[in-house]
Amino acid sequence: MPPDDTDPIADDLGAPDASHAPDGDWPSMADDVYLGGDAELASGDSYDPYPAAGDTDEGAEQRELERRVDEGRTPVYPLDDRRRLPLPGLWRRWRAFAMRGRADMVDDFGRDPIATARWEWVLDFLYSKWFRTEVRGLEHVPAHGRAILIANHAGSLPYDSAMLLHAIRRDHPSRRDVRPLVEDAVFHLPWLGPLMNRIGGVRACPENAVRLLEKDELIAVFPEGVKGMSKLWRDRYRLQRFGRGGFVKLALKTGAPIIPVAVIGAEEALPLLGRVTWFAKSVGLPYVPVTPTFPWLGPAGLLPLPSKWKIAFGPPIDLAGEYGAAAAEDRLLVGRLAEQIRGQVQAMVDDLRR
Amino acid sequence: MATVSVGNARPRRAQGRVVAITGACTYLGTELIKRLEEDRRYAKVLVLDVKAPAILAAGTTKARFFPIDLTQPTIDGDIATLLQREQVDTVVHGAFLSHPTHATEWAHEFEDVGTMHVMNACAAAGPARVVMVSTTMAYGAHPENPNFLDERAELRGHQDSRFINDKVRAEKQAARFAREHPHVQVATLRFAPILGPTINNLHTRFFSRVTAPVMAGHDPLMQFVHEQDAAWALKRAVDSDAVGPFNIVGKGVLPYTTVLALMGRVPVPLPFLLARSIAKALWATQIVSTAPSLLDYLLYVCVADGSRATRDLGFTARFSIKRTILDFVGASPEDGATDVASSFA
Repeated sequence: MPPDDTDPIADDLGAPDASHAPDGDWPSMADDVYLGGDAELASGDSYDPYPAAGDTDEGAEQRELERRVDEGRTPVYPLDDRRRLPLPGLWRRWRAFAMRGRADMVDDFGRDPIATARWEWVLDFLYSKWFRTEVRGLEHVPAHGRAILIANHAGSLPYDSAMLLHAIRRDHPSRRDVRPLVEDAVFHLPWLGPLMNRIGGVRACPENAVRLLEKDELIAVFPEGVKGMSKLWRDRYRLQRFGRGGFVKLALKTGAPIIPVAVIGAEEALPLLGRVTWFAKSVGLPYVPVTPTFPWLGPAGLLPLPSKWKIAFGPPIDLAGEYGAAAAEDRLLVGRLAEQIRGQVQAMVDDLRR
Repeated sequence: MATVSVGNARPRRAQGRVVAITGACTYLGTELIKRLEEDRRYAKVLVLDVKAPAILAAGTTKARFFPIDLTQPTIDGDIATLLQREQVDTVVHGAFLSHPTHATEWAHEFEDVGTMHVMNACAAAGPARVVMVSTTMAYGAHPENPNFLDERAELRGHQDSRFINDKVRAEKQAARFAREHPHVQVATLRFAPILGPTINNLHTRFFSRVTAPVMAGHDPLMQFVHEQDAAWALKRAVDSDAVGPFNIVGKGVLPYTTVLALMGRVPVPLPFLLARSIAKALWATQIVSTAPSLLDYLLYVCVADGSRATRDLGFTARFSIKRTILDFVGASPEDGATDVASSFA
């Protein structure tokens, strides 16, 4: 970059660096400044990215900084100032112990690759042994690029989003990761919420969805939300209202194709006989589920029954190509499209039950 | 290109600039003085604080100390006179507390009313540029926060944290000043929690203890910025022409419990209601100076998006969150930490 002679303020330390852009993958350590070792501490060096007085070269500031980054040097501090705890040996051992089962890097939305790998066998057991899941139409899921999976939602716990996530990670040739958008009622549940977050779940809100799609991720949306999860046994397989059509706006704005998905089996895994609400509000839950096993068997009652699961993916629907991005402002059209897609998922559910 | 052209005129000198810094004794203030000393574009640095920062005793050539107490009632007139007499073109307002205090009345006078005094002085003296230091904590930790808050997000603060709300009010004053004086460039830097080996603030004190409370079943993502990155960002903001709020954040996020594990701290899981009662009792008895309302930041995510600073300010953090944490505790990366690459090998 040539130095700008007219405006010395314009000389730039570093062009906005592509490495900072959220690019979907794990943050790379390669571009990180790294303290080479304690040997360099002796040099009495201090952070000095600016040229000495008398240096009239405009580009010197940037060159100096680049040189320091290239040499892998960081600011150097007196070791006394560092905040190590007493008993360094014990401290180091405790740290190694505490870091078991978790990665020291997560992606922008908090998915932890080691925690994901650690829970893999649980999901795989549920998917292949317990639920004996059958999958159809996986070829409709693109191997790369943004897309929105629109699925029905049932069962009082989000087993269906975990199975959808695992189906694509296990059986799709691309092995790509799905980012399920998790409704607040589940996302802020103690233990379950953080666990969902570590294995790929993201809090459902438009900002997060747009950010994920702009990184060309595959997201899964359950537009029925909590209303879908809290469907009673008598309403099983009957899809609830599809939110307020936020997913249609999302598809129109970001140009992501919509892939309708039907999941059946979740209804029987935790058949919801009733919902208790008077007690639930005080513990921060939307409702306390009553199933044949819960709360009678305690927490063990939340384990799913071994129902037979089927997941079907439909052909992608390109809304943005058909209606254009501006159509996102047309409330009537958005409502109509949402209802149309709901009908499509309902038809796929009915088809799977046959 | 990082430098943006702003519509209004820039009467600021390209060479021989004069900078006034409030809160010069803070880490950021002192680092800024160091950097301005080394930059030949700056002729004079006015150090405004109640006491002279230690760096002045170490021998500085451009910096001159003026004792200013922002809590005094007519200090705005004194500052205005000073700014006019020394022909200051850039005012850096960094006089904020880095840690809650039990003297909440004084803190309010210092942060909120102090900002009013600085803004009044700026309105009277008319510097070309005002840079204010703020924090991403001003967005508040709320259950409905998206994973990344950008600068357009509302500053919601916390319903009963005076520490946070004084900063929100100070920012609102700066925003109003910017609206009423469109010819003055006003930039606000919202720093993510700053960690580093030398800085002393709320977060470094919190993480320096052996144990740390964890809200049972909650594990929000956290974000930090390295102290050197923060100081560099402040210097860039003084150099630059960019206006408006900027989130100054580090690279990457980590869950709170992973942060504690990387630091080798012992997590103490507590139910939120119990933790809040304990924190309130400790606060009331003045045993600790960490306000109970700050427990919300252990419950919900409060992470900001720094892409505007990258685009308009040319600031990109050079330290990842892992390096920042390891630098804070003084550990080398091989020191007992796991690694993604090795786990998948």
